[in-house]
Amino acid sequence: MAQILVVDDSSTVRNEVCDFLKANGLTVTAAVDGKDGLDKLRADPAIKLVVSDVNMPNMDGLTMAEKIRGELRNTTVNIIMLTTENSPSMKERGKAAGIKGWIVKPFSGAAVIATFKKLAV
Amino acid sequence: MTDATLVMSKVLVLDDASEHFTQIKQFCEDCCLQGIKPNLGSQGGVMAILRSNVDLGGILLYENYGGQAMGLTLAHAIHAARPELPIFLRRDTEASLAGLASTDANALCAAYTMSDLESFKAVLESSIFSRVYPTDLVRGITEMTLSSLQTLFKTCTAKVEAPYLVKDQIIYGEVFSMITIESNWCRGYMMLQTEEEGMLNLLRHGAAADAEPLTFRDLNSVLGEATNLVWGSFKNRYVGYRDDMTGLTQTQVPIIINHQRRYISFGSVDPQLCLKYSLIPLDDPQAVPVSVFQRFVFNLSWSPDQFSENPSVEALVDSGELEMF
Repeated sequence: MAQILVVDDSSTVRNEVCDFLKANGLTVTAAVDGKDGLDKLRADPAIKLVVSDVNMPNMDGLTMAEKIRGELRNTTVNIIMLTTENSPSMKERGKAAGIKGWIVKPFSGAAVIATFKKLAV
Repeated sequence: MTDATLVMSKVLVLDDASEHFTQIKQFCEDCCLQGIKPNLGSQGGVMAILRSNVDLGGILLYENYGGQAMGLTLAHAIHAARPELPIFLRRDTEASLAGLASTDANALCAAYTMSDLESFKAVLESSIFSRVYPTDLVRGITEMTLSSLQTLFKTCTAKVEAPYLVKDQIIYGEVFSMITIESNWCRGYMMLQTEEEGMLNLLRHGAAADAEPLTFRDLNSVLGEATNLVWGSFKNRYVGYRDDMTGLTQTQVPIIINHQRRYISFGSVDPQLCLKYSLIPLDDPQAVPVSVFQRFVFNLSWSPDQFSENPSVEALVDSGELEMF
């Protein structure tokens, strides 16, 4: 049972984000790409917030977000993208998939922790 | 010569005529060349330098270096080992390759004399400096890479040396990353290259005392993320979101890597933009810096006249901040 699912193909980013969230009292699980993220979310309906990279092998983060809403019919989980991408077209696609927000890497935990906590309950 | 955006190039100077030393040194400075002179003039010594210098733009070679016509013998050895490096032959009277056997001439790029260095400048412009990298681009790349390295190596200081152009195709170190960069004004690759042990030691130095032992996979991940951060910054800053990418040619060429020779070829002999970064632990400024070499190879398309900074870059949300929808 986790509150937040962190999806990133980079173990460096995954560990950094997970460690930070755990240190702030949140329960976290991690996935290595969009496909793995879908599996983890399917297996743990308690997850309230997905923090995901966009560019990943096997399945990118935006496709995963679309499948969360479509295939999984999960309309309640909050999704935030944490990515180097910053293009309006990608953000539009994210909005259409119902994602809640967008963070351009590098990750700065202090700037977002309050919002993350709000979205993870 | 410490201008952060003045693009230079390193050249190996194989010229033992002491009477011309000052003039050659001045010429190199005037032409943005950083001359490297070997201590040993023997062929073995020169080849050892070639093996240890992975970022050369070319070679200035005196025809009689080491003895009468010995320079030509050396030119053959260098050309056989590093055919991508242009060799410029200094001759006593003839500023051309005229009179040389065709087998000798084939190993050389051009010839010059001390009395006509102005003409030689033009030759350099069309060979080592045949590709112009916009100053704003070089400055931007430096800024975004330093920022990315600083993000990942929080316990280190990141520094960069003056940018330079290289024509060699030698891989530095043991590990490198490569990512495609595509826009309507450039298509090619960016590489980051480093050495495993030094970089791993840096990561271990910055890790928590109770952290799990770090392995080369952790290094791979950090280098990958550094590449990702620079790539993302490059896209956000220089690849226009409204650019019509649909008309871009999908041309590709095979990339050849020869591990034994530490050689990589992108099928292009154009000079590559190279930047050398150094990482030094904040709490040990005397430590040997760990080097990261960054190379840009725009082998598939290069139109610097169309280069521009994304006009909306100022309006973008700062990195790390959450933009709510």
